[in-house]
Amino acid sequence: MRTGFTFMKAFYLWFVISSAFCFSCSEEKVDSKVNPYTFRQPANFPQAVYTFENNPVSQKGFELGRALFYDPILSADSSIACANCHQQAVAFADPVHRFSRGVMDRSGTRNAPAIQNMAFQRVFFWDGGVKHLDFVPINAITSDLEMAEKVADVVEKLQRSPSYVNKFNEAYHEQPGSQKMLYALSQFMNLMVSANSRYDHYVRKEGELLTSAELKGSQLFTAKCSSCHATDLFTDGSFRNNGLDPSFEKDNGRERITELAEDRGKFKVPSLRNVELTSPYMHDGRFKTLQQVLDHYAAGVNNSETLDPSLKKDEVLGIPLTEEEKANIILFLKTLTDRDFIRDKRFSIPNE
Amino acid sequence: MKLTRAILLFSLVFVFISSCKKDELVSVAPGTLTLHFDNIVGDANLQLNTTNTPYTNANGEAFKVTWLTYYISNIKVKSADGKVFADPVKSDGSQGYYLIDEADSESQDVVLKNLPAGDYTEVTFTVGVDASQVDQGAQVGALDPAKGLFWSWNSGYIFFAIEGVSPVSTETDHAFQYHVGGYKEVSGSATAANNIKTITLSFDGNKAAVNAVHEPEVHLLLDVKKFFNGAGAANVSFATNAARHSPAACKDIAGNIPAAFTFDHIHAN
Repeated sequence: MRTGFTFMKAFYLWFVISSAFCFSCSEEKVDSKVNPYTFRQPANFPQAVYTFENNPVSQKGFELGRALFYDPILSADSSIACANCHQQAVAFADPVHRFSRGVMDRSGTRNAPAIQNMAFQRVFFWDGGVKHLDFVPINAITSDLEMAEKVADVVEKLQRSPSYVNKFNEAYHEQPGSQKMLYALSQFMNLMVSANSRYDHYVRKEGELLTSAELKGSQLFTAKCSSCHATDLFTDGSFRNNGLDPSFEKDNGRERITELAEDRGKFKVPSLRNVELTSPYMHDGRFKTLQQVLDHYAAGVNNSETLDPSLKKDEVLGIPLTEEEKANIILFLKTLTDRDFIRDKRFSIPNE
Repeated sequence: MKLTRAILLFSLVFVFISSCKKDELVSVAPGTLTLHFDNIVGDANLQLNTTNTPYTNANGEAFKVTWLTYYISNIKVKSADGKVFADPVKSDGSQGYYLIDEADSESQDVVLKNLPAGDYTEVTFTVGVDASQVDQGAQVGALDPAKGLFWSWNSGYIFFAIEGVSPVSTETDHAFQYHVGGYKEVSGSATAANNIKTITLSFDGNKAAVNAVHEPEVHLLLDVKKFFNGAGAANVSFATNAARHSPAACKDIAGNIPAAFTFDHIHAN
């Protein structure tokens, strides 16, 4: 009897202790409410898809990524940093250029997209050629029109820099290498979550109210735009031809990746978060204002083989919109502007 | 009683602290076997960047080679008594992936460590990178993107790359480029293809004896000429098709890869 009792107790003890020590094996747990370097899932967003299990965010890793993001060391002639074409004031888009400028003032072929809510995206770039955030910077680094540099050469430069040797050591206890460089940049971008617009506070019932015009805009948006600009990310992540041109000799979009004729002229549906700030619009930056964008959908849609069916309902091109409806939609879109995001000191130029 | 409980608690704590340590290997009188990958063109040893174009393909087109590199992974060796040793593979690229580069002689020796002693008679390996790990983010080791074989415009790895020059090529500077990649079929996609090849080579009745005294070296050959020579569309012509990149476009020539590898000889060492 006595022995059995002790055994049960010992088993119970074992259970409690083993659970405690299982936790001790994992990374130090920090209260996510007080640590600004922890990824947080906004309640109104779809679940994040980034592989955090391989690359959890840490302050040192994040700060390394931030240093790299603002450092022209990534480019062939040390002239261009990520931040050249991705500026915080406009949600990390390029406010100046239709086509951003790379090394030696070379012109790119597409408009630099905003960097925000990257942890929720499954595909990257206008044509979706990249399927994991870690690999996104490789395109910018190796493109002849952007940074025109080899990944191996960047790594060599970082290894020669005492400051980076120190930073990699602090973050990873390793010499600079490509994996940890890409991990650090991912950490920096993963924390770039924009989820504090007036709209967010409104839908999360955090005391924000929308005006009647904005609410009208919201209803119109749901009825006429949200089939593509879906969820609170305001994109369904799909590729669509939105009727910008009747043919696509200049840029065939998604077809470049899949080599399928049915993907000709299709581009990734962009998120509309901070859209007030991310002009110019479309993959080629052809529109300067949201008014021009809505004018296009109302009256400028071109037919072609791959035009999205939602823009050709009942053989009528485009989305019928009155001037008042357009104005209300624009008012609604402006509620997606996140001032906290563009002022967040964590993402600004490191001062050193 | 209290003492017993304290001892019990203490020992449990100890057990669980030690359980935090990972990958403790029990060593079993380890031996070593080296696979040496020798790249040839027909009867000749491959020389990179020759001044002339000394080689000819099956179509009689002269060529030279400027770059040859390929990934080997998932290596298994089988002993005469049927036991199989699998070289450990880590999906982050830190173990079990090997990039053979003609320009780097060290890379041509793949050293398998911690083999049980035995007479090995057969090797199986994969040419390619099962890039399902690409979904897991940036990798290290042979799969480090800095190696230059990561496909930036359409994520994945080029796992068999050969470039060179042939006078009959109509590309810039008469260059030819064959970049074989592609790790999965995607329904409806014209570009996706699974070009990964698994190859088994028997040692032709020879034995690679691994034991305390011997660390044998098995010489395998890759014949570039055989890689270019296949049936139909797989018969490479530099004149008509000097550049192939997308996985689907490489499907034919990827089919030539298995026959291009052969067993040659063993040094008992």
